[in-house]
Amino acid sequence: MSTATLKVATPTDTTIVMTRMFNAPRRLVYAAMTDPAWLPRWLFHPPGWSMVTCEGDVRVGGKYRWAWNDEHGHPALLIHGEYTEVSPPGRIVHTETMEMGGCGPMGTLVSTLELIDRGERTDMRMTLAFDSREARDGALASGMEHGMEAGYAQLDALLATDSR
Amino acid sequence: MVAESASPLDRVFHALAHPARRAMVRTLASGERNLSELAEPLDMSFPAASKHVRVLERARLVRRRISGREHLCRLHAQPLRDVAKWTEQFRRHWEGAFQALDSLLEQMKSKERAAPRRRGSH
Repeated sequence: MSTATLKVATPTDTTIVMTRMFNAPRRLVYAAMTDPAWLPRWLFHPPGWSMVTCEGDVRVGGKYRWAWNDEHGHPALLIHGEYTEVSPPGRIVHTETMEMGGCGPMGTLVSTLELIDRGERTDMRMTLAFDSREARDGALASGMEHGMEAGYAQLDALLATDSR
Repeated sequence: MVAESASPLDRVFHALAHPARRAMVRTLASGERNLSELAEPLDMSFPAASKHVRVLERARLVRRRISGREHLCRLHAQPLRDVAKWTEQFRRHWEGAFQALDSLLEQMKSKERAAPRRRGSH
């Protein structure tokens, strides 16, 4: 990997694989990506949302809980789960169950984070594994809803370039 | 609201943009269900569930048949296969988070340069 921008691939029916390079030594990337003290600084912040809970016990069998309120201060998203493998600073695996605005649990995925030491840089590979193709495809589509700047004009542009 | 003239892909994105409808799609992946079975885990009224199913029908993700008094819904997965090609939105969402992570990592490195760790500590 030679660039810092994120690549997303769907190598199987039920997975999403994200790869990216970070300009920092692996031990710092591992800390920033796993320590609840750092997560609120980067993890997920649609405009107006705030992360109100970020707790985690980063060890095998340990649980974590991440919760956000929306711009009106109402509970918007809850993500919780358990760590199933913890091998710092190179590998961490956890389950993820999401609950959104009163809709109840929306299925569980398994997230595998692998960090490869490149000296002063680090290569990341994150694999999200879903129960079904439909759950995986739903997760891909969900980026549209949180006030992200998606614009139908941009979608039209993508459609115009897609020749499949 | 998605206009009647919206393209099929627009309708699919609109349909999947709501968490309740994604939950319904997930449930239907296991097989045909009636409306009550779709509404119940979402703690939703029958008319509200029916409204969501109509959006899914307009996106051609779900087919409904009426058998006696039951509305039976079945997943039609082809439109979802078209959606799977559109990883761009998902990528941009995560790239935003990773750019914030880039900034945090720069701050962490600066802090370390300002207050170096003792040599020999891993």
